[in-house]
Amino acid sequence: MLGKLIKHEIRHSARYHLAILIATVAVTAIVGLSLLSDSSILAALSCFALVVTGIATVIVTLVSVIKNFYDTIYGRQGYLTLTLPVKGSKILLSKVLVSFLWIVVGFIATAVPYFLIFLYARVKTSALTDMFGDALRGLLTMLPETDVLIMLLVVMVLLIIAQILTYVGYVYFSVTVANTRLFHNHPKLFGGLTFFAIMTLASQIGNFISEIVPFSFVATYNSAYFSFKPAQEIAAAFIIYPIGGTIFSMIVAVALLALTGYVIENKVNIK
Amino acid sequence: MANIITVASLSKSYGKKNVLNDISFQIEEGSIVGLLGPNGCGKTTLIKILTGLIKDHTGTVKIDNDEPGPYTKSIVAFLPDKSYLPDWMRPVDAIEYFADFYKDFDKAKAEQMVRDFRLDPKQKLKTMSKGQQEKLCLILVMCRQAKLYVLDEPLGGLDPASRSAILDLIMTNYAKNASVLISTHLINDVEKIFNRVLMISEGKLIVNSHVDEIREKGKSVEEVFKEVFTYAW
Repeated sequence: MLGKLIKHEIRHSARYHLAILIATVAVTAIVGLSLLSDSSILAALSCFALVVTGIATVIVTLVSVIKNFYDTIYGRQGYLTLTLPVKGSKILLSKVLVSFLWIVVGFIATAVPYFLIFLYARVKTSALTDMFGDALRGLLTMLPETDVLIMLLVVMVLLIIAQILTYVGYVYFSVTVANTRLFHNHPKLFGGLTFFAIMTLASQIGNFISEIVPFSFVATYNSAYFSFKPAQEIAAAFIIYPIGGTIFSMIVAVALLALTGYVIENKVNIK
Repeated sequence: MANIITVASLSKSYGKKNVLNDISFQIEEGSIVGLLGPNGCGKTTLIKILTGLIKDHTGTVKIDNDEPGPYTKSIVAFLPDKSYLPDWMRPVDAIEYFADFYKDFDKAKAEQMVRDFRLDPKQKLKTMSKGQQEKLCLILVMCRQAKLYVLDEPLGGLDPASRSAILDLIMTNYAKNASVLISTHLINDVEKIFNRVLMISEGKLIVNSHVDEIREKGKSVEEVFKEVFTYAW
């Protein structure tokens, strides 16, 4: 049943996400073409369009996750979803997985163009003699060694996965709280307030934990490692990322997802 | 005959407002039951409890000897009082959805009924009229070989000719030996099909009777309804 839930969840949510993904691909293609033209103004403008599209992709993807969850659980479609012969926890799991998938696809669609430009710059860097080429060459000289870069990418991917799951957990719980009898007359207001309250509180506690347990990922130009030293004792690092706070946020998100599953199973209030 | 629905001491309140107050009844398998009462009397809340959409109540509810959950949802075909299909869906999508989740769904019959009712299988719901949407929802529900059909106001908002067509659709398509619970306030149209009626007033079950018993007293269901709900007129 989980497979069928995921299949229909993807079909239902695809129309929100595909449009913005197509727009991203289109803008990337235009950027690619403009780079071939050797016009620095055109290249700069299309890169600006790429940044705007990237931001739009992320925002639309995140908002779609909220809208889809609300519509299919607490909107009139909840009558369809919640009378299916499956456990509420499976319904929630399918939604978490598909939301995760779309957010990942959104991030990839946003990140791939930058990666392509990076590759282009490496290959054609000597061919670009104008200001745009200088800027790209400047960026390339700032990058660390390849093995550090790979380690950096792996840790970044893991952190992004953690952040996505945390976001989904916070959002689903906030939408759920906003649709309880106490708050359901102003669901958007209370949903937003709950989300920012949880995010602020978890982040403050996460920072506090990071200070007590200074577990962090450290990257220098020629090495990358995990450290339990306080940040001020680590020299010559260009990235010191506290992991403790992220782990705490994830624990909070998983707990909130479990609570959301309980509410869907036992306390749901469809209008 | 075994009971398909057993409700004992059921109460449900929203805050301080009691919507259902100590309700108890049983429905035998094979019954066609009218759940009657004016708007706001608690019919939809009772239906939501029977279909597992509300669980924070007191008292016990059993469907085929099981508490509302995945099993009971697999044997109950539920038609809510509002269209619950997403706007982007077409009849073909909705049929595939039901076929995927309900083992008792007769896909070929649903496709045939869509054609019989002259619905375009590829037309999106958002471009259909309200009547067409209601027909599609009812087709989906009635093409299940369920043990219990729960229909919340299936005739609401329809003209008399459509009401007759919908009633025909219900009566000619529900599974043999299944039970049907129909919530309505349009008694005149449906009283001839019921063999039992439940009347709810202000959260209390005030009539739970076989239609034959009512008729033996020389009354129609509608007359009893009017006597009971004088305050609502």
